[in-house]
Amino acid sequence: MSALRFTLRHSPPSAIDVSGLRPSALAGRTRKEIAAIALQGWNEAWQVGDLFAIRGDDASRIVIDGADDRLIRAGAGLEGGELTIVGVAGDYTGEAMRGGSITVRGDAGDYVGAGMRAGRIEVTGDAGAFAGSGRAGELRGMSGGAIVVRGRVGDRAGDRMRRGLLLVEGAAGDYCAARMLAGTLVVLGRVGIMPGYLMRRGTLLFDEPRTQLPPTFNRNGRHDLLAIRLLLESLSGHGRAFRQFARAGPFGRWLGDLGCDGKGEVLIARE
Amino acid sequence: MTAGNGDVAGALAIDGVAIEDTFAEAFGMRATRLVITADDRTWARHAAVSATGFATSVIACGCEAGIERDLAPGETPDGRPGVAILIFAMSSKDLQKHLERRTGQCVLTCPGTAAFNGVPPAIAHEWLNLGGALRYFGDGWQISKLIGGRRHWRIPVMDGEFVCEEKAGLVKGIGGGNFLILAADAAAALAAAARAVGAMRKVRNVILPFPGGVVRSGSKVGSKYPALVASTNDAYCPTLVGAVRSALPAGVGAVLEIVIDGLDAPSIASAMRAGIMAACRGGLRAGVIGITAGNYGGKLGPHHFHLRQVLE
Repeated sequence: MSALRFTLRHSPPSAIDVSGLRPSALAGRTRKEIAAIALQGWNEAWQVGDLFAIRGDDASRIVIDGADDRLIRAGAGLEGGELTIVGVAGDYTGEAMRGGSITVRGDAGDYVGAGMRAGRIEVTGDAGAFAGSGRAGELRGMSGGAIVVRGRVGDRAGDRMRRGLLLVEGAAGDYCAARMLAGTLVVLGRVGIMPGYLMRRGTLLFDEPRTQLPPTFNRNGRHDLLAIRLLLESLSGHGRAFRQFARAGPFGRWLGDLGCDGKGEVLIARE
Repeated sequence: MTAGNGDVAGALAIDGVAIEDTFAEAFGMRATRLVITADDRTWARHAAVSATGFATSVIACGCEAGIERDLAPGETPDGRPGVAILIFAMSSKDLQKHLERRTGQCVLTCPGTAAFNGVPPAIAHEWLNLGGALRYFGDGWQISKLIGGRRHWRIPVMDGEFVCEEKAGLVKGIGGGNFLILAADAAAALAAAARAVGAMRKVRNVILPFPGGVVRSGSKVGSKYPALVASTNDAYCPTLVGAVRSALPAGVGAVLEIVIDGLDAPSIASAMRAGIMAACRGGLRAGVIGITAGNYGGKLGPHHFHLRQVLE
C-alpha cells in the first residue's frame, strides 16, 4: 500500500479548511468517496476531487503535495497516523491535534500546533506567529506533544503554553513564551524582545548568550542542574542541533517573571 | 516457622550434604524497585544503605528492603553511578508509606542523589507516589518537569536540586523464600552462609533482607508469652538439644538461615539454587551437614519452593 497522496491542482481563491484530510476521517473510504468529501472554504465548499488529484490507498499515511498557504487547519484534530505537507502549510496546521505526526516540508503559517495535546509536528522551514500557543481568547496554548521548527518562528511562540516541547533551531520573534503556564521552549538562534513576559512557570533554554530578558527576571547564578541535563538528553532524538545543544551548560539561570509568580526559569548557554 | 517436615533419610546430597525433601513456604508481598544515583558510587551507596536499613522483617520493621545490585552509569536514567534497591511490604498502602519515608529520610537527605522508578512500566501492577509525595518538601518551590514522557520533580535543596521521578511501579512480589544451613559448628555455618550470600547477590530481582543476608534467629509462630507473635525456633537451637523436641540431626552444632524476597518466583528459585550450591561447596569437609527449609506445613503461604525442584 502506498501513502494516500493529495496533489493540489490549483490554488483555491480563498482559505480552505483541509482538516478533513486526516487518517481517522478517511480510513475505509474509497477514492471516489474521498473525492466527494466537501471541504469548507471562506464562503463556499469545495469537493476534494475538484481541488486535488488523488493517488494511493493507505489512509494512515497522508501526503498533501504542492500545498499553499490557503490550505488551513491541515491535520487539525489529528488523532494518529502520519500527515506530510509538501509546500507551504497554512495557518492552524495541527491545531488541537491529539496524536500522530505532522511533517511540513516547507514553511508553516501562524498558530501551528495551537492547543495541541499530544503528537509531534516538525516544520523543516519557518513557522509563523503564535506557534504552540492557543487561539485568540483561549486560556491555554499547547498542553502536550512536541513542535520542532528547523527554521525560525514568528512572534509570540509558546504564548500561554501549558505543557509540552517547543523546539526552534532558528530564531524566535518577540514575546516568545509570553504568559507561559508551563512546559519547555528551546531556541537555538536569536531571541526577540521580552521573552518569557508574564510567564508563570516553565523552562526556556536559549543558546544565544546575548538574549535580553525583561527587567522582571532575577539572576539566579550559573548552574549545571541534573534535571536540565536529563531534559537536554531527552531532546537528542529531535535532531543533530539538539544533540549538540545537549552538551551545553552550565547555564546562566534567571527566575521570573516576577510580575507573575516568578516560578519560571530561563537558562542561557555560555552566559 | 518450623523447618524440616521432610525426610532426611535417602535425601538428595550435594558434596555429601543431605538436602532434605521439604520446601520453603513464601507469601505474596507488594514490592517496588528504586534506582538511586549520585555523582559517585560512594554517595549512591550511602543513600541506598541508609534507605534499606532496619528493614529485615515486616514483623517489626514494617517493610523488608535491601540492595539488589550496583548499576553502571550506562544503566541509570541520568548516566551516573547508581544502586538498585528493592522494598517489600504486606500491602500497597504499607509500601507507599515506607517508600515515601525511606526516600524522604535517606535519599532526599543524601548529597547529590536522585531517585528514579526502577520497575519497567510493562510489569507495574500499580503506581506508587514517589516524587509526587515528596515534592511538598519544596514548600511551593518544587518544579515539575516532564522528561521523556515521565514526570519528575525538582525539589530545591541546599546543594542544588533533588530530582525524583513522580511515580514508582508496584509489582506483586514474594517474600519469605528461605533455606537453612545445618553445620557442625558456628564457624562452618557462617562460612557456608557467606558463600551462599556471595552467590545469591549475583541473582537479579531478589534481596536478602537480613544483616549480611543471613539470619541466626529463625523463629516459630507464637510464644509462651501472649504478647509475642513469634519466638525462637527452639527445634533448631543447638543449646536446646535434649531440652526440647529437637529437629537437629546428630553432629549439627549451628544453624543459619537465608531469607529471600523476590519480584517473582523464578528469581527466588534461582537464588535458592545458587545459594544452596555455594553453601554445599566443600561438603562435609567444610563442616556442612545438611540443608533444609522453613515452612508452616504448606497451609499459610501460597508459594512453595521445594528444595529438590529448585535444585533440578
